[in-house]
Amino acid sequence: MEYIGFFEIWGTVISQFWPVWLSLAVILSVSYHFRHSLSLYGRLFGSTIGMVGLVIVLFWILTAIFADWVAVFDPLEQFAMLKRKPPGAIDAETGKALLFGADNLGRDLFSRMVHGSRFVLIIAPAATMFAFIVGITIGLPAGYYGGKIDSIMSFLANLVLAFPVILLFYLLVTPGIRETPIPMAMAGFFFIFPILFFGVLFYSRYATRPGLLAIQLVCVLLVGGWLYSGLVFNADPLGIIALEPNELNIFASVVFVNSPTVFRIVRGITMDIKTRDYVAAAQTRGENAWYIMLWEILPNARGPLIVDACLRIGYTTILLGTLGFFGLGLAPESPDWGSMINQTRAFIRIVPTIALPPTLALAIFVLGLNLLADGLREQSLKD
Amino acid sequence: MTEPILEITNLSISFFVRAGEIPAVMDFSCKVMPGEAMGLVGESGCGKSTVALGVMRDLSNRGKITAGSIKFKGRELTSMSEKDLRKIRGSEIAMVYQEPMASLNPAMRVGRQLMEVPILHENTSVEEAYDRALEMMELVRLPDPERMMDSYPHQLSGGQQQRIVIAMALLSKPALLLMDEPTTALDVTVEAGIVDLVKELGSRFGTSMLFISHNLGLILETCDRITVMYSGEAVETGSVNDVFEQMRHPYTQGLFRSIPLPGADKYSHPLVAIPGQLPLPHERPAGCNFGPRCAFFEAGKCDIGEIHMQDAGVGEFHFSRCERVAEIDWDAPPTHDGIIEPTVPGEVILTVNGLKKYYEVAANKMFGGGESRVVKANEEITFNAREAETVAIVGESGCGKSTLAKILLGLETATEGTVSLGNLEIGSTDIGDRDTGTISSIQMVFQNPFDTLNPSHAVGAQIVRTLERFGIGNTPDEREERMLELLDLVKLPREFAKRMPRQLSGGQKQRIGVARAFAGAPKVVVADEPVSALDVSVQAAVTELLMDIQRASRTTMLFISHDLSVVRYIADRVVVMYLGHIVEQGTTEDVFSPPYHPYTEALLSAIPIADTKVVKKHIVLDGDIPSAMNPPSGCPFQTRCQHKNAVPGNICETDLPPTRTLAGGHQIKCHLADDILDRMEPVVALG
Repeated sequence: MEYIGFFEIWGTVISQFWPVWLSLAVILSVSYHFRHSLSLYGRLFGSTIGMVGLVIVLFWILTAIFADWVAVFDPLEQFAMLKRKPPGAIDAETGKALLFGADNLGRDLFSRMVHGSRFVLIIAPAATMFAFIVGITIGLPAGYYGGKIDSIMSFLANLVLAFPVILLFYLLVTPGIRETPIPMAMAGFFFIFPILFFGVLFYSRYATRPGLLAIQLVCVLLVGGWLYSGLVFNADPLGIIALEPNELNIFASVVFVNSPTVFRIVRGITMDIKTRDYVAAAQTRGENAWYIMLWEILPNARGPLIVDACLRIGYTTILLGTLGFFGLGLAPESPDWGSMINQTRAFIRIVPTIALPPTLALAIFVLGLNLLADGLREQSLKD
Repeated sequence: MTEPILEITNLSISFFVRAGEIPAVMDFSCKVMPGEAMGLVGESGCGKSTVALGVMRDLSNRGKITAGSIKFKGRELTSMSEKDLRKIRGSEIAMVYQEPMASLNPAMRVGRQLMEVPILHENTSVEEAYDRALEMMELVRLPDPERMMDSYPHQLSGGQQQRIVIAMALLSKPALLLMDEPTTALDVTVEAGIVDLVKELGSRFGTSMLFISHNLGLILETCDRITVMYSGEAVETGSVNDVFEQMRHPYTQGLFRSIPLPGADKYSHPLVAIPGQLPLPHERPAGCNFGPRCAFFEAGKCDIGEIHMQDAGVGEFHFSRCERVAEIDWDAPPTHDGIIEPTVPGEVILTVNGLKKYYEVAANKMFGGGESRVVKANEEITFNAREAETVAIVGESGCGKSTLAKILLGLETATEGTVSLGNLEIGSTDIGDRDTGTISSIQMVFQNPFDTLNPSHAVGAQIVRTLERFGIGNTPDEREERMLELLDLVKLPREFAKRMPRQLSGGQKQRIGVARAFAGAPKVVVADEPVSALDVSVQAAVTELLMDIQRASRTTMLFISHDLSVVRYIADRVVVMYLGHIVEQGTTEDVFSPPYHPYTEALLSAIPIADTKVVKKHIVLDGDIPSAMNPPSGCPFQTRCQHKNAVPGNICETDLPPTRTLAGGHQIKCHLADDILDRMEPVVALG
């Protein structure tokens, strides 16, 4: 068996990432050039911590996008000869090296790690976004009206938060539950929120201009309906959006456990902002409650919400890793980071580096998100 | 000659931020002699607080003393070690800040906080510290000091908290007391008590004081000498009398002309605002900082080189930072655009009759049980306002004036009584049930300029949205055009439409607030302390603007305020409120001259007036305003009334006084006999 040396491994790794470096350079230099007109994002360039976080997060986003070019092999391809080989082992057939070694089934760890970013980077931000929309849609009225609405909503949120998350996932992905209509009903319930949210958003603002409003509502219904049919019924007429029943399950569950926390943050901020004079000014000119919540209060809550979104994507990434580790809801061969750690951990004694690629990838990505959140918080406080 | 307690020479302080060095104080000198009170006056951002923090060497990690020296009792503070500084801070130099709640530790009983001072600085025993703390509590005239030692700060009122802070500052018998706007957060009648206390304690202990304030009247009442600051520099310094009577700097003169002193009149002697606004620290002009706003500016003289302090020519130790101090005719009267025709009020537009507003506050909100208490925010409010008239509603915090405004605007509904706008009853209609016409015909100008505009939307868009709500203009373009006209109306450049609120100064934001209120051609505008949060030099401009627009549109204005000087200047009629009751109302002339309601009398006496010629009757009320949750029986003012013993029996404590109508429709709610009312003397007299 032939190997390549340490420096050659890293040299090849760095050169494999060439599309990532190239687009990173383009994005950063363009953003740096226009940083003065980019508000909060532009001001990130003044914070070292924020910059490090941004680069890490962008790195993984770009890796997910260019995964097919960055990866050396197919993530599912098994090399019978190369099982559990340490980093740098060369595949005799193609002459290419398995940069980070191979796992128990002889699959290239480097390529699996690169492809694993896709799963995380699709599910985590999307689920966080949905959780935010759900949390905002119920958090705003709870904070704005207070009283009974608030008591009921807060009670429900506490109920969800009190339930152990992992247990909840075990329940949701067990075949017995998976075959019932419960997951689809849950997804159906949560995914209706974005359509409601954007519908109310435009309606409250543009009700006085029916022409414009009609166009907006038609757009919301078309896009929303398309996404809804694709996500919930797996019946996308265009065939672009397709979710495995398992993935849908994970997706809906992540939204389910995240939205109560978002709800509480939004509720707290709303209670603070609703006492401001500009809210009173909006009330005295006869604005309806949803306009005030969505157009007067929400924009001013964006600072803490953006920071929380970054952190929450990080938590969700860890949660997805945990799910993968327990093998919950994902296909056994799926190259996600959590499953990879689980499948390799038994062989750490034989090949000490075998579990490192997915572990470090996960840790670095979450670290990047946390640093980015810190940088954003620091910069948003400076205003 | 005695040694000065504090001697600051050519002090410069800069803050170092990412954008570079920002000079906050430049070339500042002043001397405080033993037992003397030095007033430091200036607008926000002029560096007056930075001077005080510089003396304390408490400039955070970004601020640095870049030049000059601060000598305290002959010892140099700028180069003193942290260890020596700690010995001086709190024991020889003490400081009182603006917010009493922020100065006290909320988790510690006030007694313990007071006792810490002698224990830390003089190593006294706990018993001795307790005795001294108790003695000091009595000196600052706190009622029931023993019980109060055991309370937490949040259990005390704002005035009591500030007394505790002052007691704490004085406990170690400091040689120098720094007071940074110590009364700004308090109500006027409470402020008068604190000012009285500070003056008395100052002379009693012989403490020197550096008194920082934006209020010239307060400086006149408390200080011996004054230093006026503008944009980081001292521009004029001298004894209080010299500076107030013979000011020798255009900025000082501008300040005095822009505050309503007795004798100002909105028709014949209107206020003269200082044009422009304070330059940002990194955009200061060359030469004189005040140059671009100065009427006496002379190119080639005022805009080159550094301008130094020079002898003002009158008075002793009177200096001015003005190149042309010898050339300007300082006694020339201000130029006016001519006398404005007085407005004749029209028909009655707004009638409030027997209005009551009670709130029910549940004792235990979580489970809804327990007994609920009633807060009587408004009791029997009856008054009216005519077209083009300005009616001032005067009162301190908790008097119910904001609740009244909320009912007028429909944010709350009345518990009892009626409010009629024209022929329409609006007191019981919530804003959601009012039609667009009613909504746009009664609008509001809010108090806090930093809160009145939504920070997330462009200024123009916010006005356009208002127009959209009021159904003005048929197309977006028409509204855009109308919005630009409104900007012209409030004298702001049209480019401002695209700006975000954070790019505007306080005065400019308040102008946008005015534009928004007048967008729908309102019949009534409620102005809730529209200028009280603005800098003095900007206040006059916004006040004049508001009155101009009102005059032109013949709008009725309800001007809510606690500042009687502004009220006397702006209002045609005055309504004085105390604890939800109207205690006095009448024309401005009637209310400001005897007979007074005892509360009005005290309020008038409490307002600091920046005029050395004014002689005031000295009335200081005891205690604080009672809580509306637990109002006193009988007359609401009986707990603090200075004339209570002139009423036979305890009728003040049992019966609510009837509203009596005196000559000219002047109404007073008081039990005092007619002959006592008749014998009342004017509180404020021009000497």
